[in-house]
Amino acid sequence: MLAYLVKRLLGVIPTLLIVAVLVFLFVHLLPGDPARLAAGAEATPETVELVRKDLGLDKPLYEQFWRFLSGAAVGDFGKSMRVKRPVSVEIAERFMPTFWLTFWSMGWSVFFGLVIGIVSAVWRNRWPDRIGMTLAVSGISFPAFALGMVLMQVFAVQLRLLPTVGADSWRHYVLPSFTLGAAVAAIMARFTRSSFVDILKEDYVRTARAKGLVEAVVVIKHCMRNALIPVVTMMGLQFGFLLGGSIVVEKVFNWPGMGRLLVDAVDMRDYPIIQAEVLLFSLEFILINLIVDALYGLINPTIRYK
Amino acid sequence: MRTRNTLKVLLGASLLALAAFGVAPQASAASEVIMAVASTFTTMDPYDANDTLSQAVVKSFYQGLFGFDKDMKLQNVLAESYDVSKDGLTYTIKLRKGIKFHDGTDFKADAVKACLDRVTNPENKLKRFSLFSVVAKTEVVDDYTARITLNKPFSAFINVLAHPSSVMISPAALKKYGNKDIAFNPVGTGPFVFVEWKQTDHMKVKKNPNYWKPGLPKVDAITWKPVVDNNSRAAMLQTGEAHFTFPVPYEQAELLKSKADLELVAAPSIVHRYMSMNVTKKPFDNLKVRQAINYAINKEALVKVAFNGYAFPAEGVAPEGVDYAVKMAPWPYDLAKAKQLMAEAGYPNGFETELWSAYNHTTAQKVIQFLQQQLGQIGIKAKIQALEAGQRVQMVEGVQDPAAAGIRLYYVGWSSSTGEADWALRPLLASESWPPRLFNTAYYKNEKVDANLSKALAVTDRNEKARLYREAQEQIWNDAPWAPLVTERLLSAHNKKLSGVYVMPDASFNFDDIELK
Repeated sequence: MLAYLVKRLLGVIPTLLIVAVLVFLFVHLLPGDPARLAAGAEATPETVELVRKDLGLDKPLYEQFWRFLSGAAVGDFGKSMRVKRPVSVEIAERFMPTFWLTFWSMGWSVFFGLVIGIVSAVWRNRWPDRIGMTLAVSGISFPAFALGMVLMQVFAVQLRLLPTVGADSWRHYVLPSFTLGAAVAAIMARFTRSSFVDILKEDYVRTARAKGLVEAVVVIKHCMRNALIPVVTMMGLQFGFLLGGSIVVEKVFNWPGMGRLLVDAVDMRDYPIIQAEVLLFSLEFILINLIVDALYGLINPTIRYK
Repeated sequence: MRTRNTLKVLLGASLLALAAFGVAPQASAASEVIMAVASTFTTMDPYDANDTLSQAVVKSFYQGLFGFDKDMKLQNVLAESYDVSKDGLTYTIKLRKGIKFHDGTDFKADAVKACLDRVTNPENKLKRFSLFSVVAKTEVVDDYTARITLNKPFSAFINVLAHPSSVMISPAALKKYGNKDIAFNPVGTGPFVFVEWKQTDHMKVKKNPNYWKPGLPKVDAITWKPVVDNNSRAAMLQTGEAHFTFPVPYEQAELLKSKADLELVAAPSIVHRYMSMNVTKKPFDNLKVRQAINYAINKEALVKVAFNGYAFPAEGVAPEGVDYAVKMAPWPYDLAKAKQLMAEAGYPNGFETELWSAYNHTTAQKVIQFLQQQLGQIGIKAKIQALEAGQRVQMVEGVQDPAAAGIRLYYVGWSSSTGEADWALRPLLASESWPPRLFNTAYYKNEKVDANLSKALAVTDRNEKARLYREAQEQIWNDAPWAPLVTERLLSAHNKKLSGVYVMPDASFNFDDIELK
């Protein structure tokens, strides 16, 4: 297992290299001259040239790429073109708020998703299933920005129970994490349900029941583990997406996170920030995939790593 | 027993939670004002800023030699008076005495020299370099007199010194922090002292106890909070988490108006919206076509459709409020005349063309859709496209060869940040300003206009200047390289407890008299 993990971790390096090349080429292919954008509406060509020098954009492309790559290798991603602070600081400041928001949204949505999914599967086509799946379909179809605004209007403006924007205390986390998690909970519920429905038909479940086990034990002990494999895969994927920072939720709740940073960066063609963020997202995805693979082994000991 | 205890604990916990919930969020201490604004600040160094917002918030701690009051009238701030030499090249400025920077340094002529020398030095690579390109040198005559020499006569120079970016920075702080880090450690003479700039959340300033204007400021602190989403800003105002918000989207205006403790303000602006026509390309090289387009657009309807009534039809080439602007009667909406002109021009059945918008926000989308429909009435089939910032740079502002420019009809806006006719006309209509130099997106060229604009810069006499600018504006109006559309109103909202905060016509803020009751 350890050897497998080390091998996988080494495999990360070429992947990241490819991503680095692609993202570098991609951002430089975006239309629009970043020096012109940074210099602003009223700038003359002389000023634009000054800004271009200031941002290091006057250097040939291969030299810029080499600076990016050699810097990235030692964790130095240069300075943001927009605010002129180190990219690492800009990202570090925003990473934790996004991480905690993701963590709490995943926490509640996985819990409720599992519960709803299991209940729906066990009482399939009866009223708990109908209620559960109605909730799930609503969760998927209600867009996050609308949900966020409705929640804010009700709980912050009308009832005055919770603050509207910001990320200072636990109370600030309630509305955004609910908004962000709603869709995930819905997806989890549907996944768990379908996975459970299949497993409840398996022979070993019939055997367990025939042994005279209580239905609760059959479901929790015998079905759960087997049903979890696809659910964990889905969980990993969703976690990866959320870690990228939900642009919509972060905008509505003015969350000081990665999503907003990325949007600002794309608007201003802030190359260093875009490159570093995309690299970070790929790294996150790779790591989460790795964790998910490791989890498979824990859930189902018959899975072997080679 | 056990279950009952658990129940008690649970009950207690939920009561506690409820109590915690019950406390409504308040905008802390008595005289701390929270201002919710629309976008993230880019820098605290106004010489390196190109966005109006960053330049507006630094007015908390920075002041210039001259400035604008809330109606954009020029006034002396740190300067007491000034003299211009006959040739218009030398400006001698007397400074106010007894003013100290926040770090204790006295405000003297060496500060003027330090700040202007910094921005005019290309080594420092500051974004406002071009605004100060007319300055040849700055000298210290005595402690309270500075002399600025220009490399060519530029009669709008005092407006340059009043521009929100030309502020006085403590020379001691400039030396201590250097050219780059001064942006994170601003030291000025203003009513508030910089406290902190948390890039992810807010910028905070506190009262300057030694402010040179007695009795001011009247509040202890201001927190500037960028909140991108329009609805979220409006929600903050309603919950009391913010005292002031700008801009208010038109759709929210009615709702906020109906709240008893809030006040909605629609301030006049110098934000001018127009559609330029590329006069070097067929069929827009034909004056009759351009006139027809002007007649075919119902500006009153446009104001209602796209601006919810918070704008008015454009009354000239430059809007009222800009110094030397000439007021003219808006082009009437007259379809019959428009169709007749199209026929005379040889396009009785119209033609196909493209209409681009410089912005892709909702209001701009509505405007170009409306224009498309209006142009359709005289047979002009316009393909519309709202450009994103990067596309705009590539397709419009960065085009090197005028002959290759794909631009035809172009919806855009402008506000003259110096509050004066030169910067309202020259960047948009002088032939020297064709892209990629500046923003003459109509590729308009008229010798008389060019001559008058450059002559006016060398003239210091107000009447003569007014004549030159009037002639230029009349010429432009008749040549119709644009379809002038509307002048916007700026919508802001504030809590009734807050007073003394104004949105200025250029969308900057004036908060000299900010007060919280």
